[in-house]
Amino acid sequence: MATTTNYGWTTPNDSDPFKNGASAIRTLGSSADTTLFTALGGAYPGLRRIKSQTIGTTVSSVQVTDAFSATYDDYKIIISGGLASAGSVHLLLTIGTIATGYYTSGVYQVATAAAQTTYNASNGAVCYPGFLGNQVYRHEIEISNPFATKGKLMNSRFANYDNTNSTGGSAYIVNISATSQTYFTISPASGTLTGGRIDVYGYSKS
Amino acid sequence: MTNPLIQIDDEVREMTDEEYAELKIIQEASNGITN
Repeated sequence: MATTTNYGWTTPNDSDPFKNGASAIRTLGSSADTTLFTALGGAYPGLRRIKSQTIGTTVSSVQVTDAFSATYDDYKIIISGGLASAGSVHLLLTIGTIATGYYTSGVYQVATAAAQTTYNASNGAVCYPGFLGNQVYRHEIEISNPFATKGKLMNSRFANYDNTNSTGGSAYIVNISATSQTYFTISPASGTLTGGRIDVYGYSKS
Repeated sequence: MTNPLIQIDDEVREMTDEEYAELKIIQEASNGITN
């Protein structure tokens, strides 16, 4: 029986009966499936991009649908490349239809300041992953269990530049809602967003 | 006076009055959270 060079997958000989073709293809396909699964470390290994959404012009709210599913429990959301119309305003985020019960603990430091500043919000209608910039900003948000029927947990890191100041910080967010959600929405606390992109990645769990 | 724009995936349109009212609620709630 002939085999492939690197992984020894079985392939039909030139002289094999034509009637065995379906079986030969099935065997070869199964070998490729098994080798890929083992080599990659799972069916959906590592960090896999699920969705990429370009942000429009002067929009006050952006909803990203079909971001969360049963395939993943943990996600990374990166928002970057755009700008806000107003400097140093909060990015507001809601998970699907959850409109209450967000607990945010945040800290940031303006580059010209000697000390860090904290901010917090208890049982809010929205959460606060960080601040937006009117020249540049970047948010990296990780979220656990948005689709799972469990409480939601988030942490975020952000950096921005506004007029004359650069700010960096982080936030930790909890919502104990056990509802299953498939989308999220972001808004600036005032003004609009223009340009940039929202990328959603899923962490492998298999 | 037009309402602000909402984007849902690639679709951008003017917010309905209800959507704008919801946005104002969460924006006003953030007033006490300052930078």
